[in-house]
Amino acid sequence: MDYFFAAVGLCLCMLVLLALYRVVFGPGIFNRVAAISAIGTKTLVILLIFGLLYQRIDMFIDISMVYALLNFIGCVAAAKYLESRQE
Amino acid sequence: MNGFAEMIIKTEDIIVKTIARILIPFIQLFSLYVIMHGHYSPGGGFQGGVIMGASLVLLFLTHGYEESKERMSEKAAILFSSTGVLIYSGIGLLCLLLLGNYLDYGRLSLILNVDLAHARSLGILGVEIGVGFAVMAVMFSIFLDISTGGIEPGEEKKNEKASTR
Amino acid sequence: MSFMTVLSILCLLGGFFFFFTATIGLLRFPDFFTRLHATGKGDTLAVFLSLLGLAFYEGISLTGLKILIIAIFMFIAQPTATHAISRAGMRSGVKPWMKENIES
Repeated sequence: MDYFFAAVGLCLCMLVLLALYRVVFGPGIFNRVAAISAIGTKTLVILLIFGLLYQRIDMFIDISMVYALLNFIGCVAAAKYLESRQE
Repeated sequence: MNGFAEMIIKTEDIIVKTIARILIPFIQLFSLYVIMHGHYSPGGGFQGGVIMGASLVLLFLTHGYEESKERMSEKAAILFSSTGVLIYSGIGLLCLLLLGNYLDYGRLSLILNVDLAHARSLGILGVEIGVGFAVMAVMFSIFLDISTGGIEPGEEKKNEKASTR
Repeated sequence: MSFMTVLSILCLLGGFFFFFTATIGLLRFPDFFTRLHATGKGDTLAVFLSLLGLAFYEGISLTGLKILIIAIFMFIAQPTATHAISRAGMRSGVKPWMKENIES
């Protein structure tokens, strides 16, 4: 059972590396912001799988909830600033 | 109006405004939970204060300067930060007055009729609450200062008139 | 292997499948708005299914309920963030991809 969770976590890390391509090479800033939001979502699930592997999941739940909050607030703030630039 | 307040009013959106209105009380409730459970799970005073400050920043970003000034004005933010430091140092001085060391929570068991371990736990909780107050107020105050440039959106005309006279 | 464990494995595999297709969409789609389609919808459903699977693994306890609360929060907040960034892209003049761009 632990091996299954570790395999899923490792494959999610590969997906994060794939999304990093869009952060580096995305033409313009909007692609980069969308890709960072996607990376944050995957990080949330990876954190919880780490908690399961260490068998102390009640420590990692609070951290992942806070990361979900900060991801949302950061995306909304970046969108508001970029909308008013009008270049 | 100066650039930042004008930007928030120009980019107003009803969907984000409604969702922020639904979510902000739950974010604040979660920050209180993080402050209270600092002794067992990851958290504590500073982390809870940051989350509460982030909720106030979300309110300012989506609703504008007028609405957020009703909830927490700049004067209230400064008062909150001083109150937080007062609570922290006040507990330390109280322990000093009870013939102990500074921040020696064990001496608090003379006032509250509990045993030594309970008094230490309650002392740490009080100190964390003080830290939470201070961090929340300072985060909101720094964000307001950086974004509006020290000039409130209503006072720009006063400064312009004074400089052209 | 009890029934709850099998259900949690199925939900985790479904969540991983949606993550995989959403990331491939993020890389291969031709335009900013189409990439937002992929990551906004696919990532939300994938996170919901993955957290549901983890909650089934924990069973009916306090940690299972907390994981469900995180899942509901992500289900509400992620589409809002996608809406905000797509509106910003449209107002700032990002050109959408038209079919006349390919010369075939």
